[in-house]
Amino acid sequence: MILGCSLYHQDDLAGMQSANLQNLPENYTMKFWMLHALSWPQVSFVAEDPKGRIVGYVLAKIEDPDDENEPIRGHVNSISVLRSYRRLGLANKLMLLSQEAMRSVYKAQHVSLHVRKSNKAALGLYRDSLGFEVVKVEQKYYADGEDAYSMQLNLKD
Amino acid sequence: MSKLPNKRALPSREAGQFKELLNLYESRQLKKGLKTADLILKKFPEHGETLCMKGLVLVHMGRREEGIDLVKKGVRLDLTSHIVWHVFGLIQKGEKNYEEALKSYTQALRFEKENINILRDAASLQTQLRLYDALVETRHTLLRLRPNLRQHWVALSIAHYLNGNTKDAKAVLESYLSTLKNVPPHDVEQSETLLFYITLLEELGEHSEALSVLDSNSRSRAIVDRTAVSETRARLLTKLGTPEAEEAWHTLLERNSDCYDYYAGYLSNKGHTLTEPSPAALQIVSDLAAEFPRAKAPKRLSLNLSTGDEFKSRAEAYIVTALVKGIPSLFSDLKSLYADPAKKDAIEEIVERLREHYKKETAIPSGSEEPTTYLWTLYLLAQHYSSLGQHKKALELLEEALEHTPTLPELHTFKGRVLKRAGDYLGAARCVNDARVLDGQDRFLNTKTGKYLLRAGMVKEASNVLGLFTKKDASSPGADLEDMQSMLYLLEEARAHEKNGHPNLALKKYMAVKKIYDEIEDDQYDFHGYCLRKFTLNAYVRMLKWEDNIRGQASYVTAALAASKIFVAAHDNPNLVKSLSSTSELTDAAKKAKKKAKKAAVKAVEEKKNAPTTATHDDKGIEPQSNKDDDPDGLKLLGAPDVLEQAAKLLAPLTAVAEGKGSVGVWCAVYDVAVRRGKVLQALSALGKAKGLDAESPEVHVRVVDLKLREAKLAEAVKEGVKKLYPGDVGVETFNSQYLQRQEGRAESVLACARVLGLLGAPLEEVDNAVFELLAGERAVGVKDAVKALEFLRSIKSGREEEFRAACDARFELSTAFKSKEEQAVIREQVMTRGPNGGKDEAVTP
Repeated sequence: MILGCSLYHQDDLAGMQSANLQNLPENYTMKFWMLHALSWPQVSFVAEDPKGRIVGYVLAKIEDPDDENEPIRGHVNSISVLRSYRRLGLANKLMLLSQEAMRSVYKAQHVSLHVRKSNKAALGLYRDSLGFEVVKVEQKYYADGEDAYSMQLNLKD
Repeated sequence: MSKLPNKRALPSREAGQFKELLNLYESRQLKKGLKTADLILKKFPEHGETLCMKGLVLVHMGRREEGIDLVKKGVRLDLTSHIVWHVFGLIQKGEKNYEEALKSYTQALRFEKENINILRDAASLQTQLRLYDALVETRHTLLRLRPNLRQHWVALSIAHYLNGNTKDAKAVLESYLSTLKNVPPHDVEQSETLLFYITLLEELGEHSEALSVLDSNSRSRAIVDRTAVSETRARLLTKLGTPEAEEAWHTLLERNSDCYDYYAGYLSNKGHTLTEPSPAALQIVSDLAAEFPRAKAPKRLSLNLSTGDEFKSRAEAYIVTALVKGIPSLFSDLKSLYADPAKKDAIEEIVERLREHYKKETAIPSGSEEPTTYLWTLYLLAQHYSSLGQHKKALELLEEALEHTPTLPELHTFKGRVLKRAGDYLGAARCVNDARVLDGQDRFLNTKTGKYLLRAGMVKEASNVLGLFTKKDASSPGADLEDMQSMLYLLEEARAHEKNGHPNLALKKYMAVKKIYDEIEDDQYDFHGYCLRKFTLNAYVRMLKWEDNIRGQASYVTAALAASKIFVAAHDNPNLVKSLSSTSELTDAAKKAKKKAKKAAVKAVEEKKNAPTTATHDDKGIEPQSNKDDDPDGLKLLGAPDVLEQAAKLLAPLTAVAEGKGSVGVWCAVYDVAVRRGKVLQALSALGKAKGLDAESPEVHVRVVDLKLREAKLAEAVKEGVKKLYPGDVGVETFNSQYLQRQEGRAESVLACARVLGLLGAPLEEVDNAVFELLAGERAVGVKDAVKALEFLRSIKSGREEEFRAACDARFELSTAFKSKEEQAVIREQVMTRGPNGGKDEAVTP
């Protein structure tokens, strides 16, 4: 498993989009993926199989601060690993790579994300493995009406 | 009644209103804008600029046709106003008609050369159209006008780079970097600019320079992307061949010990590859495995690099670890080793042995192994045998596993896969659906089920399953998947339609894929300006390169080839459409969609009627609204008279990106279309390429015979083509003399006839005489004609060049072009001395 190519490698976008469509109901058109690759290429990563096909990705961004004094925040828009490539710790590794890049390139102090209340596996990853905390509940956040936990992690300097 | 002398200039009240109109448009206060425009037009109904602005406002309000008509009228009434051309260009750009938009913008620039907005838009258009020469000029102008804007410098550098002039790109960037003052520390934009500068240096081969720039800026923290620094450093040091390269690669491994690219770099720096077994390479990787105990990559790589017993013991350890952990992807991980038959056999032996062991140990309560380990072993073994074509054996193993644990979805999905390989598409779909119901929340299983149902041709059922995860307010699951650009869905459903005998429906899906690629090409437009504002320069140029090659991606190639095949079939069988429409049953999903669309259309018309006319406030934007699909069955598309041209258009981008043996299919498809269009040369060239790539390809074989059978017809086509250009049956000499008779008044024609005589191999004397004819007679002969004639005589080594030259010299008294070489030399020497009319000062000598 090849891990850890950042979005500098634009060629990965089609594979990321395809993995996202297969795995998750929250999908995006190609322009959205391009926007990330062309705004914050350093903070998104992919995992590839031996043939170079995308089997996992994390799509992240840096938030535009409302004013100068606000601390810089990263945000994970989407993360997914193909079912056939689970149990390899890929999601964990992808998140760590992304967080490190947010911290070192952009000096981000926090990372945020949304997760379905019922998604135990994801909660296990974010809360227990990575140290995210629930900040609030966003009601009916998802298109099918499910609530989301808004979670945040403080990045050490 | 006197008109205004200049129809454009408005008196002060209307001029103020026009300014107001521009502001209202900018802030999209469309209703007010419309009113203001009408005020001006009441007094000056032919004011082109106002008409254009009104038209633009109307387009934004959704009254598109009306608006565009007004814009065109406005342009006609004031052809030299930059505003009208700017507006026209905006409209065309909104329609994605980039070539025409650029023409309009270029016109606008003729009348206002230094309008920053127009120049910026022109630059984006030029980049979109890949007109890099023009882009460089535009960026130069922008820089000249606003040299204090950082992005103008960077934009010019990028333009040079794209235009293939890396040297100038570097020079511009260097100027820019040297003039920067007060760069804030840790500035991401500066960091990216420096990284782009380093890219330029690297491409120019200035590796030492690149390295020193990298190192000093990395130390000063001007470059903030440490991964990029480390990767670039390792690459440059390797290119420079210094011993520090090894440490650089090692640093990368410390940062990410699972990245194969880093291992490849590290090993290649020491003269090894990731795939060729060698004791030395194996030792290196083993050391790394010890250094990074949590990393999987070195353990896996050691399987590539070891052989024999060394391989066997490592493989067993690797496999056991994965089986105990229960890793579903173990087989795909090991698969590449099967290229070596000895390793394949070794793995089989190991896993069979493990199976026996786990079976025994898990059958007894005091056993040392977990039941799941046995399960995953059966799973691995089933995958192994199926990959070797032993599907029955694989199914037996899966049966045992399923009895053991019927609730593991992976077992069901793999059973489905085996059945698919064995040709039981229906059974396969059933198995994958069994997997799906075990975990209804998992979209991956849902997507797989949809795919397998489509492979089995069960389009309706697939739509129902997929619809569990698509947006509820979409007109159909397929419509949502198409909106979200799912190539997988479109290609699989197309294939299903083909299998079910509905090539028209398949064609719609293939054309939908093409439309997505069109969209992706359009997507880049906004980034031409955006990336320069964000300074993400390396990413930007990489994106452009990616866009240049997207039509080579597998999903486009598949769609284009398949659609082209269908178009060709429609051409060959004129009754196809008829036969399809009589039996055409819209799929249930399509029927539903048609109904829904009809309902929506009726609703829209009613809403329009009932809505008060003041509700046209909202800005609909400048782009055309997407039209209702008036050909949901694809029958119109299939029955169109220009099917071959459509196919040719689909295939055209492939010929640019197709390479290697894999492209035989592309060239065969090009042949199929070209030969039917009568494009003989294109057909021959394409089939020739295909044969050159794979002479014994079955597809080539069929077409070579096809070509032979068409030979007579093609010869006819060539004949017809030639006949159009060379009418009648006269011999070539006569044809030439007839032309001379008609055109002997024109000097150039006389020379042309002489050249034809040369082509025909006439004796030199005859050709000479024909040229000399030029000087005989009453016709007008210019100096230029005579020079050309003289050059011609020299080129055929006529022997009478001197004679002709002298005759021309005599005829053209004032010219020196026909002086002899010696005479010309003398005259040339005097050029730089003071001439007969020259002033008193000393002449300039070089």
